[in-house]
Amino acid sequence: MAITQMMKYEADRDADFARWATSQTGGENLRHCIQCGVCSATCPLSLYMDYTPRRLINLAREGFKNEVLSSLTIWLCASCYACRVECPKKIQVTDIMYALKRRAIQEGVYPKRFPIPVLAKEFGRMIFMWGRVNETLLVIDLFLRTNWFKFLSMTGLGLNLMRTGRMSFLPDSIRRKDELRKILNALEADKTEVAK
Amino acid sequence: MADNNANKQQPNGLPRIGFYICHCGSNIAGTIDVADVAKYAAGLPGVVVSRDYKYMCSDPGQEMIAQDIREHKLERLVVAACSPNLHEETFRKAAAKGGLNSFFFQMVNIREHASWVHEDKKAATAKAKDLARAAVYRVRFHKALEKQQVPVDPNVLVVGGGIAGIHAALTLANAGKKVTLVERESTIGGHMAAFDKTFPTLDCAACILTPKMSAVKSHPNITLWTYSEVSKVEGYVGNYKVTVKRKPRYVIEDLCVGCMECIDACVFKEPKFADKFNQGLGKRKPVYIDFPQATPKVVMIDPETCIQFKTGKCKKSCAEACDRKAIDFDQKEEVKELQVGAIILATGFKTFDAKKEPHYGYGKYPGVFTALEIERLVNASGPTSGEVVLRDGKHPKAVGIIHCVGSRDEKTNKWCSRVCCMYSLKLAHLIKEHSGAEVYNFYIDIRAAGKAYEEFYDKLLSEGVHFIRGRVAEVTDWAMTPEEEGKLVLRVEDTLAGFVRRVPVDMVVLATGLEPQADAQEVRRRFNIGCGNEGFFQERHPKLAPVNTFTDGIFIAGACQSPKDIPDTVAQAGAAAAEALVLIDAGHVELEPNTSHVVEEECCGCKSCVPLCPYTAITFDEAKKKAVINEVICKGCGVCAAACPSGSIRQNLFEDEEIFSEIEGVLGK
Repeated sequence: MAITQMMKYEADRDADFARWATSQTGGENLRHCIQCGVCSATCPLSLYMDYTPRRLINLAREGFKNEVLSSLTIWLCASCYACRVECPKKIQVTDIMYALKRRAIQEGVYPKRFPIPVLAKEFGRMIFMWGRVNETLLVIDLFLRTNWFKFLSMTGLGLNLMRTGRMSFLPDSIRRKDELRKILNALEADKTEVAK
Repeated sequence: MADNNANKQQPNGLPRIGFYICHCGSNIAGTIDVADVAKYAAGLPGVVVSRDYKYMCSDPGQEMIAQDIREHKLERLVVAACSPNLHEETFRKAAAKGGLNSFFFQMVNIREHASWVHEDKKAATAKAKDLARAAVYRVRFHKALEKQQVPVDPNVLVVGGGIAGIHAALTLANAGKKVTLVERESTIGGHMAAFDKTFPTLDCAACILTPKMSAVKSHPNITLWTYSEVSKVEGYVGNYKVTVKRKPRYVIEDLCVGCMECIDACVFKEPKFADKFNQGLGKRKPVYIDFPQATPKVVMIDPETCIQFKTGKCKKSCAEACDRKAIDFDQKEEVKELQVGAIILATGFKTFDAKKEPHYGYGKYPGVFTALEIERLVNASGPTSGEVVLRDGKHPKAVGIIHCVGSRDEKTNKWCSRVCCMYSLKLAHLIKEHSGAEVYNFYIDIRAAGKAYEEFYDKLLSEGVHFIRGRVAEVTDWAMTPEEEGKLVLRVEDTLAGFVRRVPVDMVVLATGLEPQADAQEVRRRFNIGCGNEGFFQERHPKLAPVNTFTDGIFIAGACQSPKDIPDTVAQAGAAAAEALVLIDAGHVELEPNTSHVVEEECCGCKSCVPLCPYTAITFDEAKKKAVINEVICKGCGVCAAACPSGSIRQNLFEDEEIFSEIEGVLGK
């Protein structure tokens, strides 16, 4: 068992990150958090989380950037909004989770081969290309990027789904894709602006 | 229920006794077979009526007793119910209503003493019978007694001129009572006068306090004695004789108008002595006034630093500068006497000595301050005119506020001081506002229980003040990383983040807790009241008599009773004033007749009782060589009666035959 230093110095803190986190949409209320922990208690996925949502909020507003962005918590959040419903301070925990996910992807610090960020990224890429998601390609892409063996073991199920017409190889597409891309690009630019 | 014939004669010559036992719902009847006890009591010698009833204290219950007294010509009354503390007075009144002297009555406590403390129904019933029998045996010997009435002096003494004393004095004075307000320091105002803003509204402490201070000074019903202390208290409720020492301030109060020209004229050109009002952060001259709004606005001379007092060879330029000739180097202590009916103690608190927590470095690192020092620093009329600066004049970029200093700690003070969380939040806000520094609060719990207090906490959270939950272990100047160089580092477990942190700051503020005044024990002895374990004055009942003490006519208000904030202090001061008014406006007090008296012809004059009396109610008549008991002062403790070697001291309601027959009753069958 390796002994590592757990104590944090001021240098481990990034005050800019704290400022960024509390300026995100939904993050304005972060400062109001009274650390009651009802978010963690109500979260159906907190049992798998390395940091509970309550702790993550505390770390984010104190500026412990590395801990926050590399945590599994943000990727495990299933956006069920249970925490948002329970929060006595009306903190938009789910929105904050999305902001943190985007930042983690931007900085490339999410856990490699972890399916959720890969899925999110591929999902976004497909929407950008076609305006629609092709499940077959998305699933294949996801497995190839994360877990080869899983891909092999799921082949049977995949073929059955295709045979019954539940999944198709043919990418579906929308009209006026250019306009959608314009919108998405504009949103992205806007977001980068806010991040600054 | 057993009811003997009303016209039955008492051949044994015993007085006719009525016995009543209460069910108290199921409180008593659930454990004690009340009907069985009633039946048993009916057979006791002298008992002519014996009844049980669901609620004896109710109106029908009392009416039943009064009616029985009339119908059955009862001469004595015994009620077996709850504690006499609760309903003795109720049944005394019921007896009087029936035409019986109230003291021909004995109460038996079968609730607190039997049903509530036993589970075995049979044994509890047997015990109730024993207790009932004892009372029946005793009550035969009861004598008719009358409550004595003593007039009450309408004047009131208020001790302590902080916000509690000020508010109590003004309330009483506005009600038309003459009040004397005695304050130890040279000005009234207390701690509140030193504060900058008040939580949670952030209104300026001086702005709301000084109008009340000047109202005290100008009120026709208030006599204000500052720089004075109560040295002796004699007498009893409604009639206290108080001795007050007025310390010399070497300035004639009636002549001084507070122009402060003497201060300008002082041979010390620059202020050079630590200014106590500013927590030593500012400087003053030997002739000084605490602050511009000091009340009374009278200067004083500190003989410890004044050259005239130290050497006798000063130009006395201050005295020359005073055209009203108010400076008097020969002023002596004055002793005054007062007659008052009630006393309100509002002697306040002191803060915990931060040096007792050496790991926080107070007195060692110049960057460590107490909260009271910061109050003066952020105050616009303070030594820095409101600028938050370190002792070296630099501006702090990061400030750490440590909560619970000396509080919630078995090693120092066990209690929560109630105000530190809120004043720390207030100081955090003010420091951030005045200096723009990053502010960290290190807390164990945030206790923001009060009107608009939680909302104030929320406001602080939104202002971006850091809240780190954990008790700081140490303040050190030992740097472990480059950014800690030249800083004070606080080591703390951030229990919410889940790891230990080192937080470097420039300024540390210690939120010291509240303690009883250093001389609280002496004061409580002087006023003959009690103190709790922690040393705060003891109220008569923690919920139902919070401003009364165990000594009638002496009331307490404010932080001398327990740590409290300004709203609670003012509320309590108002309550104490109201209690004093109740006493005064009644015009007289009724005294319990359970007092002792000396049977003169039997007293041998040995004086053994005299020093034993805890209330100093016994004096010795040298002419007659007999002890004399002042029944007005006597509280009926019985010490003298027990100690008298000749048995010449008798105590009403506790005469020998009463006690012996009670013992016989409780032991007999």
